[in-house]
Amino acid sequence: MNKRAKLVLALLVVALAGSLAAILSGRERTESPVARISQGGQVLEEIALDQVERPYTIEVDSGAGHNTVLVEPGRIRVSQADCPDQVCVSQGYISDGTVPIVCLPHSLLIEIVGGGGTLDGAAG
Amino acid sequence: MGRPGKGAGRLTRLALLTAIALTIFLAEAQLPPLAPIPGVKLGLANIVTVYAVFVLGPADGLMILAARVFLGAVFSGQMMTLLYSAAGGLLSWCVLCLLRRAMGRGQLWLCSPVAGLCHNLGQLLAAAGVMGSWAVLAYLPYLAVAGILAGLFTGAAAQALVRRMDRLKQ
Repeated sequence: MNKRAKLVLALLVVALAGSLAAILSGRERTESPVARISQGGQVLEEIALDQVERPYTIEVDSGAGHNTVLVEPGRIRVSQADCPDQVCVSQGYISDGTVPIVCLPHSLLIEIVGGGGTLDGAAG
Repeated sequence: MGRPGKGAGRLTRLALLTAIALTIFLAEAQLPPLAPIPGVKLGLANIVTVYAVFVLGPADGLMILAARVFLGAVFSGQMMTLLYSAAGGLLSWCVLCLLRRAMGRGQLWLCSPVAGLCHNLGQLLAAAGVMGSWAVLAYLPYLAVAGILAGLFTGAAAQALVRRMDRLKQ
């Protein structure tokens, strides 16, 4: 192995370790979560999840396809999508700001932003 | 494979490699997702990309990559994903070209994980642009790990391919 190869290997190990550290340390609780549903950069809806009393669904249509969003007290998920990969559906419920739900083919984004007193920036 | 530099020989070779890459891509698309995280996949078709960039040269590699990405989006019926694959593919191709100059063929297995990382980074940046939100960057650590591991796998496969093709030529 020459010097450049060692440098690249070292960079890879650093990137891998940094990412793992970020994954393990990134778990945080969001107080009074607000779900923000947006599509292509436009906010469609903001829902205070702890004020939801009974589950209901929201239908989101885009030119590319259709998603059904299921809202429950304290959590939210995509329950149906007409795309072939179904990644957003298999992602299941989210209830905190760790990772958002994205549907790449329909450019749909569901993120949890801190409501009430918590800092918005903490979720980003 | 010999080195017909131009004309029908080159065209045939590019077409053959594109067909192989496209077949691998579509076969992989039939598998269920590996993880419930968007963008995590093995990307086995990139064995061909890495091989082409290192053995045939950057220009041929780019042509095979572009044809495969476009036709793959057409055949899988997901034109929206074309944008993400193109962004990831282009960034990883640039990095592969740089690494090809810096390191030899023997270190191909090491270049591929860097390209995998850059592929996922490019994809994520495209997604941030489309969604108009930086919130998708929360996926960066997951996608970085996945890109490196997938790149290591495809790199090892491409390395084995290069070794056998070299032996064939002797």
